[in-house]
Amino acid sequence: MLIRSKKEQELLLGTLDMLILQTLVMGAAHGHTIAHVIEHMSEDVLQIEQGSLYPALHRLEDREWVSSFWGTSENNRKARFYKLTAAGRKRLRVETNRWESMVEAIGRVLGNTGRVVE
Amino acid sequence: MSLRRYLRRREWDEERQRELDAHLAEETADNVARGMTPDEARRRAYMKLGNPTMIREEIWKMNSFVSVEDLGRDVRYALRQLRKSPGFAAIAIVTLALGIGVNTAIFSMVNGLLFSSMHIRQENRMLEIGSRQKGTPWQPQFSLVEYEALHGQTSDVFSDAVGDAYGLDGLSMEGNKPDRAFTDYVTGDYFDVLGVQPYLGRLFHAGEGVTPGADPVVVLTYPYWKRHFAADPNVVGKHVLLDGHPMTVVGVTAKEYHGVNTALSPEVYLPLAMIVPIESTPLSEYNKPTNRNLRLYARLKPGVTKQQANATLEVVSRRLVAEQPVADKDIELASFPLWVGRNAGFDPQNAIGEVAWFFLGLAGMVLLLACVNVANLLLVRATVREREMVIRSALGAARSRLIRQMLTESILLAVCGGLAGIGLGLWGSHLLSSINLGTDLPLHFDFGFDWHVLAFSMVVAVAAGAVVGIVPALRLARANLNLVLREGGRGVAGGGHRFRDALVTVQVGSAMILLIIAGLFTRSLTQSEHAELGFNPSNVLTMMMDPGEIGYTDPRARDFYDQLLQRLRAEPGVKSATIAQIVPMGVVGNGGDAITVGGYQAPAGQSAAPVLYNLIATDYFSTLQIPMVQGRDFSAEDDESHPYAAIVSEAMVKKYWPRGDAIGRTFTMNSDPAHPLVVVGVARDARYQGFRQAMPPYFYIPFAQHYTGNSLETLEVRTEGDPGGMLPELERAINDMAPNLPVFDVKTLHQALYTPNGLLLFQIIATLAGVMGTLGLVLAIVGVYGVLSYVVSQRTSEIGVRMALGAGRGDILKIVYKQGMWIVGIGLAVGLAASFGIAHLLHSLIVVSPADPATYLGVSAMLAAIAMLACYIPARRAMYVEPMKALRMD
Repeated sequence: MLIRSKKEQELLLGTLDMLILQTLVMGAAHGHTIAHVIEHMSEDVLQIEQGSLYPALHRLEDREWVSSFWGTSENNRKARFYKLTAAGRKRLRVETNRWESMVEAIGRVLGNTGRVVE
Repeated sequence: MSLRRYLRRREWDEERQRELDAHLAEETADNVARGMTPDEARRRAYMKLGNPTMIREEIWKMNSFVSVEDLGRDVRYALRQLRKSPGFAAIAIVTLALGIGVNTAIFSMVNGLLFSSMHIRQENRMLEIGSRQKGTPWQPQFSLVEYEALHGQTSDVFSDAVGDAYGLDGLSMEGNKPDRAFTDYVTGDYFDVLGVQPYLGRLFHAGEGVTPGADPVVVLTYPYWKRHFAADPNVVGKHVLLDGHPMTVVGVTAKEYHGVNTALSPEVYLPLAMIVPIESTPLSEYNKPTNRNLRLYARLKPGVTKQQANATLEVVSRRLVAEQPVADKDIELASFPLWVGRNAGFDPQNAIGEVAWFFLGLAGMVLLLACVNVANLLLVRATVREREMVIRSALGAARSRLIRQMLTESILLAVCGGLAGIGLGLWGSHLLSSINLGTDLPLHFDFGFDWHVLAFSMVVAVAAGAVVGIVPALRLARANLNLVLREGGRGVAGGGHRFRDALVTVQVGSAMILLIIAGLFTRSLTQSEHAELGFNPSNVLTMMMDPGEIGYTDPRARDFYDQLLQRLRAEPGVKSATIAQIVPMGVVGNGGDAITVGGYQAPAGQSAAPVLYNLIATDYFSTLQIPMVQGRDFSAEDDESHPYAAIVSEAMVKKYWPRGDAIGRTFTMNSDPAHPLVVVGVARDARYQGFRQAMPPYFYIPFAQHYTGNSLETLEVRTEGDPGGMLPELERAINDMAPNLPVFDVKTLHQALYTPNGLLLFQIIATLAGVMGTLGLVLAIVGVYGVLSYVVSQRTSEIGVRMALGAGRGDILKIVYKQGMWIVGIGLAVGLAASFGIAHLLHSLIVVSPADPATYLGVSAMLAAIAMLACYIPARRAMYVEPMKALRMD
């Protein structure tokens, strides 16, 4: 039971990491922007809990997939900006591939069972 | 996570706060732009983000070493918990300290006897050589001939072989009263091979010790130099007299070096061949193939195994048999690790090391008892605290965390108990070291506290902590918390009791084993004290002396003894006086000799076992009151101008002259085939060694016919009244005749029985076993009492119900007793069976039978009675339970 929930957690965290990294491909951004971009791009389907964003950013920085610096936001406020590193870019490719192959696999499974049900 | 981040986490946290503030500000601004009021905008922003403090906490945690911090918190929490119940903490710590302390002390003994460093180079490559004639025990005794054979013929396996011989000699500065020193005569390369360095000056050269009398040089040991030369830095070059022979001090051995024997530490070293002039050993005696007083040691060559060494030794022994058909008949040689021989020779029967191991086992049992007690206490405590645990778990504490906290508490207890136990062990090992071995010989144990001992205690303490802590922790882990909550915290009842009962059963059983062993040893001691000795030890004063120590040589020393005896016999209050080489149970010179008896053939496959003998003056049998059975006592007639005479024991008659016609028969000692001994008398058997075995054959030969250089004798005087009162007169007589002669080991014959060879060992063992038995008993009682008390407190409401339904006080008493007696009864039965098995392993150490009924009955009865008492207090409490109060309690 414990182990399974841990795996689930890992999968979700990995997904959030991937989404954050993907957001940063377009350039450096601060936390608030990242949250909004994810929400908008998914057309509000992925309502991420903004609170979990910051620990995730911290973790990514710890792994040196992103780097951060203080800058000024579009509204002239002091904000912490995050930027993709080379390692982060590589990581994103890995994560994206993994995600796509998984989606593909799930799709195939669903497609098959779908036909059986019909 | 980096250490840098960890150290800067406060700063980092402030930064996060600013970041989150910025986020909230952005979101609020966005919300206002969407047309919300500022308050509403702010509220929505917070809602969307979540609690900023929690987010920061999460990041903070990511920057911390969580487990280390938790550990600190757990320790603080455990300390607080223990401070809240000081009684529990004190009992647990004292109990553990006792268990760990006993183990530490006993291990320091085992370590001192077997493992402590001898401070020589590559100890494990040094071997001691033993010899035996087929069918007899291994002995560390060699003749010079055998040493030379070993030295010359083993160069393929040993880089070198060295020998030494112990002696007791008087050492003095010119004109002073000599001081009796324990000497060691060594081959010249002795220190080189052992790898001992000088502290001052030099040690011996390889050439020294070969030619008798050629090397008048002395090496002092560090402690002797400190004690007797006041650590004089200019001691090298000083002249001293050794048994009257002028010698020069050339060096002092390294500080830590204390010889290769555990209890006997030589004080002065001399070159081997100096034994000829100093101990006035005739050269013929020195070279004689039957004169075996050398111990031999050899260093293995690099890459050579002990098997290879033993193979070479076998070749050497075969050659010896061929070259010395009489002296080395059927001889076998083998090598032993140093630790085997460092205590009491190679004979496992009286190896002190074995006894020490055995005691370590007993100490382990005490520790087990202590651990079970503390585990039980913790179990009870865990039950009491179940409600607390449940609530904490309901509030979100992870179960692993709770278990860790309980383990922390147990380990904290174990650490405290361990520290206290190490202190206790230090004290115990000091006590053990200061056991008076009842002799003036430099015989002492020094069970120091080295890193072996410390490491051992640490391991024991940690193991104890884990054992003690794991039980309640596991129980908590298995407990169904919901059930506990619903039961109103009345405990995870049921199965747990059985486990606790089993623990107490183990305790009672272990206590039983400890007590029975203590009982067997105590009974052995009393039995030995009252054993039929064959002589009468009361009213006899003994003292040792060696006129050789003041330079007296043969005729002069013999005259001294003759005159001394004459004078003492004339002294009022003296009934009779004699001298003898061997005192019963003595530690000096219990050598025997193989004998050849005309008409007697040893059973096939056995060699002639050496027969023990004593060298005595006239009046010996009347002084010790050993009855003569046949023939006559020695008289002044029995001197060198008359045929050599012998008096034999009844056991000897039985073995060699079974028809009882011993008088007038002759036999020869293999060391002196030129002088056949004529049996002139038969004496009643007397105990010279051991209390258990049948008395072995023994014979006596007169001093006047066998005085060969060795003049170390014991004066034995039977007095009219209290022998102690006669001491001043005796000392005055000796002082008048030889003013500088040191006298030592002055004691009554009764006291003289308490030596390591006699009753002392029993006394020590019985005392140690008694201490552990008592500890075991106390711990078991505490266990029985504790568990029953707990059971009663848990069953209070049940008892209330029963009483309300009409049960009488007697019925309640019966209920509690029944439970208690089951536990105790099973424990006793298991303990009885186990001790029976263990006692049989001990049969060589005890005098009484391993199945001695008195011990078994006595101990069972005592333990049962005490256990009944331990049950009584809780049972009484149950009896006087107020039904109404009990029912209202929960």
